[in-house]
Amino acid sequence: MRAPEIFRTSSFRIAAISAGVFALGALVLFAFVYWQTATHETATIDRFVERQVRSLTSGHGEELARDLLLAERPAERGFAYAALFDGERHPLAGNLAALPADFPIDGHAHAALLGGERPVRAAGAFLPDGRIVFIARDVTELRQLQRVVRRALLLGAIPALLLALAAGALLSWRELRRVRMVNRAVARILQGDLKERLPARNQADDFDRLAMAVNRMLDEIGRLLEEIKGVGDNIAHDLRTPLTRVRARLERSREADRPPEELEAAIDVAIAGLDQTLGIITALLRITEIEEGNRRAAFGEIDLARIVRDVAELYGPIAENAGIEIAVAAPSSRPVKGDRDLLVEAVANVLDNAIKFAPAESRIDFAVLDGPDGPIVRVRDRGPGIPQEERAQVLKRFYRADKSRHLPGSGLGLGVVSAVMNLHRFRIAIGDGEPGCIFDLICANQLAD
Amino acid sequence: MQSPTPSQGAKILLIEDDGETCSEIRGALGERGYDVDDSATGTAGLNAARRGAYDLLIVDRMLPELDGLAVIETLRAERVRTPVLVLSALGAVDDRIRGLKAGGDDYLTKPFALGELTARIEALLRRPVETRATVLRVGPLSLDLIDRNATRGERVIDLLPREFKLLEYLMRRPDRVVTRDMMLEDVWNYRFLPQTNLVDVHIGKLRRKIDAPGEQPLIRGVRGAGFMLVSNPDAAKI
Repeated sequence: MRAPEIFRTSSFRIAAISAGVFALGALVLFAFVYWQTATHETATIDRFVERQVRSLTSGHGEELARDLLLAERPAERGFAYAALFDGERHPLAGNLAALPADFPIDGHAHAALLGGERPVRAAGAFLPDGRIVFIARDVTELRQLQRVVRRALLLGAIPALLLALAAGALLSWRELRRVRMVNRAVARILQGDLKERLPARNQADDFDRLAMAVNRMLDEIGRLLEEIKGVGDNIAHDLRTPLTRVRARLERSREADRPPEELEAAIDVAIAGLDQTLGIITALLRITEIEEGNRRAAFGEIDLARIVRDVAELYGPIAENAGIEIAVAAPSSRPVKGDRDLLVEAVANVLDNAIKFAPAESRIDFAVLDGPDGPIVRVRDRGPGIPQEERAQVLKRFYRADKSRHLPGSGLGLGVVSAVMNLHRFRIAIGDGEPGCIFDLICANQLAD
Repeated sequence: MQSPTPSQGAKILLIEDDGETCSEIRGALGERGYDVDDSATGTAGLNAARRGAYDLLIVDRMLPELDGLAVIETLRAERVRTPVLVLSALGAVDDRIRGLKAGGDDYLTKPFALGELTARIEALLRRPVETRATVLRVGPLSLDLIDRNATRGERVIDLLPREFKLLEYLMRRPDRVVTRDMMLEDVWNYRFLPQTNLVDVHIGKLRRKIDAPGEQPLIRGVRGAGFMLVSNPDAAKI
């Protein structure tokens, strides 16, 4: 049976490790204190006691008596007990009634319990005449300290350890809940609910940041899928229409007894239809090429005013034929970094679009303005304009407002413009001409030089 | 040289591995009077190009054994200066640039109109009239490059700058098919523009000025290909 999930969370593991480190540190600390008291202090006392015993036994008679007199007040000399016994262990002087039983008289310090209850470190030695000198130092306080340390260990450190683990468990449980929520949301997303987003409580912790990043990815995926779907729908229509026309015409011409002129005409229609289809495919590939392009590496200094004048010249005759006047205002402009071919293509597409929608006998204003961030290429027509709601859509591939479905063209023109502007990091702004549409290409270089 | 027919008898080497495309092109060029050989691999093509003295090479990019660009680069390194037309299904701008950098003189993307192919072949076989003369003359037309004016016979023609550019281009390629793509690329230096009838409209305006009512039309449309400026308007239509 697997351990409950909570014990497998990373936060629990972190809590467990922290608790472990804390416990280890506490253990080391207490062990040190214990060592100091138990071993070190005791050893010091032992050495002191042994030294005293040695000096007493090496002293001569009178000095011994004097020493022992002083020993009446042993505390002043740093030990609690001092006594002199005869060879049969009868007390001769000092503040001890009897030697502790089985106490080795060898000049070395040993532990002893005086009066059955007082812990001491003591040493005893033989005088040359057989008498026994006994010195002892009280270690009650030391023993008490040791007891306190032991108790602290049991009563203090261990509960602290448990507290750390409990806190870890609590945090882990909360994290686990969040992970479970996220997993559920992901499961829903995988089942196709692409509008679902991960819960992010905006607390700016790592978890939330991750969730927000994933949400941004989901937004992008959603956008791309919508585009593909849009392309799929429109491609179906725009590619199949000419091909259907071609097929129908060719099939009809197969019928017997068609005069050669009709066959020729059918072949011409077929070629035209195929060319139209190929044109759509080429335009699509073009957009992909622009979007994936490495063209930024080949950017040069571009004179937008010059481009406007050239494009105006190119499209002049077409506008004339439609009775449309193109008013050009492009005296000069700040240079921008870009790809000349692509920018011409973009500007031409915008103007071409305007010409398509401008009514006869109207004027199109085609100008280069000096904007705050850079030059703006502006095309303004007096046609039906683009309604507010459609302005974002209109730049997508293959979008065509219903009112323009009847017009020739692949609907990719503004898609190309969008791709070129994106590549250059320029912006597009669509405004209301009242009447008509104002289409701005804001060529503000945000590329690092 | 001004002749109303294409370069008959010119020797062309076609290096193309797709059988059907190969026979289509051979057929079309054969009908035009060209003498066409073909190779199906890069190495065979390279060897053939070295041996035979061809007037023009048509090289497909995707070839077995040795790819088209490598063939062209090798020939150029060996100082073979025969004009080369590159054929490719790869139509991206970068591909075109690579093809021309490798030593190609022109680049056509598949699928292409046969009229486009033959027009470009002609353009490569008969280079434009590169004359230092300051006045171009084709038939009754006369174009003064310094004073920037044009006349047809006695009649002075008032041309806009863009019309002048276009007429100069046509007058340097008399009696040759000039396709819409060629004009867009060479006269205006653009490649991907909406409204392919752009050129038609420009030509239309020019025609109205050049071919006044009652005069023999000098600018003729060529079905499936493009336009042509004829030097002898009285000669039979092609």
